[in-house]
Amino acid sequence: MASMATASTSLQARPRQMATAVRCFSQGSRNNLSFTLRQLPTRLSVSCAAKPETVDKVCEVVKKQLSLKAGDEVTAATKFAALGADSLDTVEIVMGLEEAFDIEMAEDKAQNIATVEEAAELIEEILKEKA
Amino acid sequence: MRTSVMSQMQRSFSIDLPSLIPLQLPSRRETHLWYILPDEVKSTSLLKRYSQFLSPIEKDRVDQMRGDELKKNALLARTLVRTTIARYQTNKAVDPGSLMFKKNMYGKPEVDWQNCKNYNVQPLHFNISHTDSLIACGVTVHAPVGIDVEDKERKIKHDVLAFAKRFYTTDEVNFLATILDPEAQRKEFIKLWTLKEAYVKALGKGFSAAPFNTFTIQSKPGTEGGYSLCKTSEVTANPLEKTEECNGRWKFDLLELAGSHYAAVCTEDDQADEGAPMRVIVRKTIPFVEDQLISERIFL
Repeated sequence: MASMATASTSLQARPRQMATAVRCFSQGSRNNLSFTLRQLPTRLSVSCAAKPETVDKVCEVVKKQLSLKAGDEVTAATKFAALGADSLDTVEIVMGLEEAFDIEMAEDKAQNIATVEEAAELIEEILKEKA
Repeated sequence: MRTSVMSQMQRSFSIDLPSLIPLQLPSRRETHLWYILPDEVKSTSLLKRYSQFLSPIEKDRVDQMRGDELKKNALLARTLVRTTIARYQTNKAVDPGSLMFKKNMYGKPEVDWQNCKNYNVQPLHFNISHTDSLIACGVTVHAPVGIDVEDKERKIKHDVLAFAKRFYTTDEVNFLATILDPEAQRKEFIKLWTLKEAYVKALGKGFSAAPFNTFTIQSKPGTEGGYSLCKTSEVTANPLEKTEECNGRWKFDLLELAGSHYAAVCTEDDQADEGAPMRVIVRKTIPFVEDQLISERIFL
């Protein structure tokens, strides 16, 4: 089998493109591996830079902490204060997020989180530094 | 019904309100604590009238609150601040809707006195706090004030000691750990929370200026509701040593409101004289309707 090691070094120079390895089966016993470089679709400019999975997980923690009903909508843009959260709730939400993501948040950053989106972005920043 | 509460309110102003009864300013060593119980304000026409005092930004914020109860409480909070401050302007009757607010460089709300024309302003300090069932506003003249209220029965979703270990100081954790009954422990935790919040709010420099684990608040022996503040410094050469600077500059009072809430009041004593008492005058109010003197307390 052809090694992919040599191909991978050239990929790093072009982070916005994704390499797809296509194995071509030809007749006989020989296999060809060829690489095509494919442009990734232009990222939509949305205000939330965090991944949807992170946002969803944050929403779950918030709903649980504030004992929201199933029908209450919580999205990336939702402000904690609009849901009736006070400072004690915010700190409990932070504790819940620390447990859910296995991270620790600096207290001053944590106290300043006002929306789901801000929480998700801060969490991803911390996870990236941890990695 | 999904119609915006605010647009309903704006459609009819059917009632006329009496003038606001002016108030005498707090004296130098006094804090005035005002509170509203939202459940006692039921008149929709009165609420409609209150909404007229709000600025467009405040109306937007009220509208953003989810559900009628949160909207009503947000409206009452702004009404309490505006009407209370307006009443202390004793030189001339002031329209509560004419007051303008701004934030200090750390985000603490203040009255924007420079933009208030036509009347002699009394430079007040104020601070508000609210829970689902009580909204409070503290007012002082000579020193900044911070207040925080919490429902006594408020349940903490996390383990109280785990919460304290994460956010409070070691001394405070040790104090809480000595309380064996979980209910009593939870109550002391809440009291500490309100006291610590009140201090940070009185400082007015945001949470970064005073992270909760950098200062200890403990009760003063021989007082009822008296507390003092001790700052813990960074651990120095000897990890077992911890320098604490306890100063009498910051005064605290912890009291109960309406039998249902803890309220912490924190203000700065510029005379730095630990013995001189300070007073809290507590009044319940429904703006334009009635005031009720609840108590006058001395705190040390």
